[in-house]
Amino acid sequence: MDYVFTILILIGLFVILASSFDLVIGHCGLISIAHPIFYAIGAYISAMLSKQSGMPIPLSILCGGVGALLASALVAVPALRVSGDYLLIASIGFQLGLIELAKHFHEIGGAGGLTNIPSFLIKDFGRESYVVLVLVLAVATVLFIRWLTQGPYGRMMTAMRDDELAFSMLGRNAIWVKVAVFAIGSGIAGIAGGLYAHYFRFLEPDQFGLLQSSAVLTMVVVGGMRTTMGPVIGAIVLQLMPQIITFFNLPPSILGPLQGLLFTGLVLFFMFVRPQGLLPAADLWVGRNRDGDAGHSRKEARS
Amino acid sequence: MSATLEIRGLCKSFGGIVVADSIDLDLTAGRVLGLIGPNGAGKTSLFNLVCGVVKPDAGSIVLDGQSLEALPTYERARMGLARTWQNLRLFPSLSVMDNLMLGPRSYSADSLMDVFFRPSQIRAHEAEARDRALDILERTGLSPIAQSRVQDISFGQQKLVGVARALMNDARCLMLDEPMAGVEGQTYALIQKAVRDIAASGVAICVVEHNVAFIRDLCDEGVFMFAGKVLARGSVEQLINDPHLTELYFGT
Repeated sequence: MDYVFTILILIGLFVILASSFDLVIGHCGLISIAHPIFYAIGAYISAMLSKQSGMPIPLSILCGGVGALLASALVAVPALRVSGDYLLIASIGFQLGLIELAKHFHEIGGAGGLTNIPSFLIKDFGRESYVVLVLVLAVATVLFIRWLTQGPYGRMMTAMRDDELAFSMLGRNAIWVKVAVFAIGSGIAGIAGGLYAHYFRFLEPDQFGLLQSSAVLTMVVVGGMRTTMGPVIGAIVLQLMPQIITFFNLPPSILGPLQGLLFTGLVLFFMFVRPQGLLPAADLWVGRNRDGDAGHSRKEARS
Repeated sequence: MSATLEIRGLCKSFGGIVVADSIDLDLTAGRVLGLIGPNGAGKTSLFNLVCGVVKPDAGSIVLDGQSLEALPTYERARMGLARTWQNLRLFPSLSVMDNLMLGPRSYSADSLMDVFFRPSQIRAHEAEARDRALDILERTGLSPIAQSRVQDISFGQQKLVGVARALMNDARCLMLDEPMAGVEGQTYALIQKAVRDIAASGVAICVVEHNVAFIRDLCDEGVFMFAGKVLARGSVEQLINDPHLTELYFGT
């Protein structure tokens, strides 16, 4: 049963990661694949705060989210002020650099990893309670991103993605929108990182590298960018698939490469056969307050 | 009467190519100024300099007494500067209505704090913008296609949407880059009427246009530009009938 709980928790965490990554790369069109580093920042900050200073875990997870949010702004502000294209390079540099740095800091476990991270809820209420916590937060994340992207802020993101210059000429601050969305997406990833840390209770720098970047990217691309349910479906499918092949009793030397092959194979397959993903996004943005007729009648009623 | 927009000594060159050579120009409230000149004269470049898309080498741009040079494009727009683009630059992923909804000087969701913590203010702001957009769509005859995608409407209507979107700004100074190119018939008349109405409401308008008939019908005054310089300013008739300018315009 513990196995099932762990799978459910991983699915929940990757739903949060993929949805928040879709906010950044899909809805806002910011090309960056360094999402896992903000997951890592949240995980390490929360783990260290609770382990060293005994901070209550909900608070330490929140601090992890805030830390990831601030770190992302630190990367985004200079990169986006120069040009949007630099974000990809700056963020990958930040991701790989920070991972290397973490390997040499023994205070946070170094390359060997950080162990004995305090657990949360499980001792008192069992693993089920943690599953519920993660899944509730996953649903909350999906609903929050849907709310944000279907409101007036989503209209801004859509227009900016279409034509940044025309967007600026209307009086909208494109850089601020980009930095804000990047920070929100990264902050959410940071919270997911804290949730990860206090369940698995072990962190090592290498797990947050490019392999995880490609996994999250695959989830978004396969599920369908700029859709509410696409990243959710992508996260579920891509979490379950590697688990399924573990049942074939293959030797570990084959299993690892096979899972990698599965990810890359899926991306290639989807790029050729269905580039829009399992759930294609509509090509016209429609906000939650469908205007038009309602607007007309309101105006007529008043005049 | 003091000018709404004052340009003084504006210079810009890209390597050896001079696109603005100490340009002095005033735009006056309620008047429509036509920019005439051959291709490459620096008309669109002048628009780009005024909007902050391109940074000038020297010179000053003042809107309603406030200097614009140090401001980024979006802040200039918030001060009441609006423009349309030669190549339209509408948002294809948005409906006509949503294209307009982004146009007011202050937008409902400009502040994230409002988005998260003041939903009622956002709703009020959106309703206000929507009413304004509906009003502009009605005046420009675009109401029937308010919910259409911009790719699904005619080119003339797209041009009109560009003008309508710029009108959402409630601008002090409006710059139209070839609003009539490729437009004919009923839409032509609609754009002409829209521009006249805006000018009558006290906005300073500047139009770049190759259609001489349109310039003559619409503009109170014309400016002839050539190689980044303002060569002459006067009535449109005067400029069109000047043999020297005609020679420059058509080449010899």
